[in-house]
Amino acid sequence: MESRVSAEVSFSVEAGLNMNNKNDKKQRLPTPVPESGPANPGRRRALRLLVAGLAGAALTGRTPGLANNRGSAAWERIEPARERLNGATPKDGAIKLDLPGVTQDGSAVPLTVEIDSPMSEDDFIEAVYLYAGGNPTPELLDVYLTPLVGRARFSTRIRLNKSQSVLALARTNRGEWLAGDREVRVTVSGCLSRDDTYDFDAVMRTRVRVPERLEPGQIGEVRTLIDHPMETGLREDGEGQPIPERIINEFRAEFNGKSVLKARLYRAISANPYLRFPIAPNGSGEATFHWTEDTGESVSESFRMETG
Amino acid sequence: MVVVPVLLWSGDASEPVDENAVGAERAEAVARTCAACHGTKGGFETDIPSLAGKPEAVLEAQLLAFKRDEMPGATVMPRLTRGYEDDELRAVARYFASLEAN
Amino acid sequence: MGLLGAGTLLAAGGLRVYAGRPSHAHVAVVGGGFGGATAAKYLKILKPDLDVTLIEPNRRYYTCPFTNLYLGGLRDFESLGHDYRELQEDYGVRVVPDFAEDVDVDGRRLKLAEGSEIAWDRLILSPGIDFRWGALEGYDEAAAEKAPHAWKAGPQTHLLRRQLEEMEDGGTFVLVAPENPFRCPPGPYERVSLIAHYLKRNKPRSKVLLLDSKDNFSKQGLFMEGWEEHYGEMVEWVGLSNDGRVIRVDPDRLEVETEFGTIHRASVLNVVPPQKAGLIAHRAGVTDESGWVPVDPNTFQSRKAPGVYVIGDATEAAPMPKSGFVANNHGKVTAAAVVADLEERAVPKPTWANTCYSVIAPEWGITVANVYEVHDGELREVPGSGGVSPSGAPADFRRNEARYAEAWYAAISQDVWGTRPPG
Ligand SMILES: Cc1cc2nc3c(=O)[nH]c(=O)nc-3n(C[C@H](O)[C@H](O)[C@H](O)COP(=O)(O)OP(=O)(O)OC[C@H]3O[C@@H](n4cnc5c(N)ncnc54)[C@H](O)[C@@H]3O)c2cc1C
Repeated sequence: MESRVSAEVSFSVEAGLNMNNKNDKKQRLPTPVPESGPANPGRRRALRLLVAGLAGAALTGRTPGLANNRGSAAWERIEPARERLNGATPKDGAIKLDLPGVTQDGSAVPLTVEIDSPMSEDDFIEAVYLYAGGNPTPELLDVYLTPLVGRARFSTRIRLNKSQSVLALARTNRGEWLAGDREVRVTVSGCLSRDDTYDFDAVMRTRVRVPERLEPGQIGEVRTLIDHPMETGLREDGEGQPIPERIINEFRAEFNGKSVLKARLYRAISANPYLRFPIAPNGSGEATFHWTEDTGESVSESFRMETG
Repeated sequence: MVVVPVLLWSGDASEPVDENAVGAERAEAVARTCAACHGTKGGFETDIPSLAGKPEAVLEAQLLAFKRDEMPGATVMPRLTRGYEDDELRAVARYFASLEAN
Repeated sequence: MGLLGAGTLLAAGGLRVYAGRPSHAHVAVVGGGFGGATAAKYLKILKPDLDVTLIEPNRRYYTCPFTNLYLGGLRDFESLGHDYRELQEDYGVRVVPDFAEDVDVDGRRLKLAEGSEIAWDRLILSPGIDFRWGALEGYDEAAAEKAPHAWKAGPQTHLLRRQLEEMEDGGTFVLVAPENPFRCPPGPYERVSLIAHYLKRNKPRSKVLLLDSKDNFSKQGLFMEGWEEHYGEMVEWVGLSNDGRVIRVDPDRLEVETEFGTIHRASVLNVVPPQKAGLIAHRAGVTDESGWVPVDPNTFQSRKAPGVYVIGDATEAAPMPKSGFVANNHGKVTAAAVVADLEERAVPKPTWANTCYSVIAPEWGITVANVYEVHDGELREVPGSGGVSPSGAPADFRRNEARYAEAWYAAISQDVWGTRPPG
């Protein structure tokens, strides 16, 4: 495995409020974990931010897309998922979602999606849509796959602001729909709390790891990460002003100019978006990765991969 | 048939019956969480004081002052006492006061 | 029968069966650590006529708490050892020095390694953790002889201490910290603090590097503040998003590889591996796919095996951390629940507390404290309670918390095992 880090990364997630004066460029990272504890003024502030943020939106308003018929399938309860299906009935239980059953850190919940598919030219998973019905906005991630991934499997990290079930829908190239869901319990743990800060100098720095050389037919693995706060637009700053939404909303992986995987990211993807997925290149060539921010700013990285 | 008013004599008449009073079992259950720092039945003295046999009024006043953040220099006690009802703290004070000092 | 003591039967074939006295309920407790020893003692406090048997292979139990002080040169290892004489002699707990090998839930029997069996009416398991060997590539039991975990107190702790003593000045101590959940959430951070203390005194040109599979950790702000205050540049923490996750260990070269391919070479390598509930919990069939034990939050009775209660680190008790303090509290709440169950009374309302002390340097302690309750059938922190020490607190506040840490250690040891000097 070849490894390249595009830049020295210096962002700091340290929490100390009075630690140093590097803080001027830092803003708090959105986190759905309330940090209660009046013993610590910094934590009190974080709590206020939070209440105004992700969790607050869920508490004060109606949770969009979450219907109240608990007995029904997960895909029936989430409005954008129903819209996406547009009347189709998915085959339930056909997607494997790997998520912790209990998490104490709702700000970064590891998630792996796996679907049994040959991923051949005439039989492959074309799209996967992920939802969290209990979040202020249910959409998590849309992923468009091609046979160049070799296997229908990818991992990321998501934000969950309370206990809920995470839903995945998938569409095959033949237009069939699959579904799968999984319950996650999110607990608030003072033991894990911190004040999040973010160094804006580091934003848009990327890390990528790709296989340098593969045997013909071998499936390799790509890991990518970009430094980014994934600011939800649901929080207030210290002065009570809303912090505007600022997220990476698109990621593309290409091999010799052909799409391997394309993703639309929503604000419930954790800070420093992480994507891990397979790659099965049809020969030697160049793998290119693009990230685009909602401001229109983008960044790309290319890597040579040899096969044979 | 004679109805015997048993209940009239079963308690101490001088003590008003408070419907919300925290029972002895609950007081002991809460007090057990204290033992990890104050020793079994609150009877272990280190830099952290023993509680067994201390005057009830003092214990109660201190516990409530911790909870209200009125104890300068306090460390964990305000954070812990906020996890209990005032009545529970009073009952815990009564319980520790009832134990023998060692 | 008399020969083997009350309640011991000799079954056909010479198999020894420990049972309770007839007409007295018998509770067997597996594991004499923070959870199990507390449960056994409090069962006898709450119901003195109960027969209680504690199964623990070690005659002397060494606590993980304060092993970091030992590693930092601030505490003698023997001072961390406790035995079971007080539980036996003063509380009437029968202690069986053996290892529980299997549980027959339907037959209410426990099989011990030495061949005997225990018949129980209620069973409490507090086996602590085991490691998921191999879950981190390259890190198995053999690797731990070169790159110790020192996450159970004993030979591993001594090995790590010896390696630190032998390390050259200017070397790098590397600690690899796992994802949640794991035993003692602040433990890795306290450890690097006190190892930095040792190195600063003895090998001041050395470095301490903490490679973490998480982006946030327990009392993070306070640790970072403490590191800056006491160790300056010596301690470096690399979190998940900064490529801190280790995916492979090479114990022979003392190298680790991170997820984006950085190779770090250590002079002394301390790997805290991924964990799961202790073996007996798996044998009893009470674990779930996470490797931990789901329990009824009011009693900590297993959700899978009636009559079997599980406490301490082995359980899925989030948001409670896997701490000795919490295990001690579990022991008491569950002892009360078991007694209520045996007496066919309603289960008392449970309350648990936790205070995790961490020592960053001599006279510099920090805490996180919480109180927990059951709400809507789930465990949670009591709203408004708990929190961490204030950041930026004056030195005397930190000094007090360090003093109270020592006092806490003495008090909880008294509450769990008693105060008999070694003998
Ligand atoms: C470095 C470090 C520092 C720590 N510091 C602190 C701290 O400062 N404060 C704090 O509160 N916690 C601390 N902890 C956490 C604490 O050690 C654990 O949470 C605690 O030990 C859990 O108690 P337990 O009863 O679940 O397991 P343990 O204490 O591990 O006890 C389990 C016992 O069961 C026995 N056993 C296992 N299987 C069997 C079997 N099949 N048959 C018979 N016996 C068996 C074992 O021999 C062991 O004695 C620390 C941990 C570490 C690693």
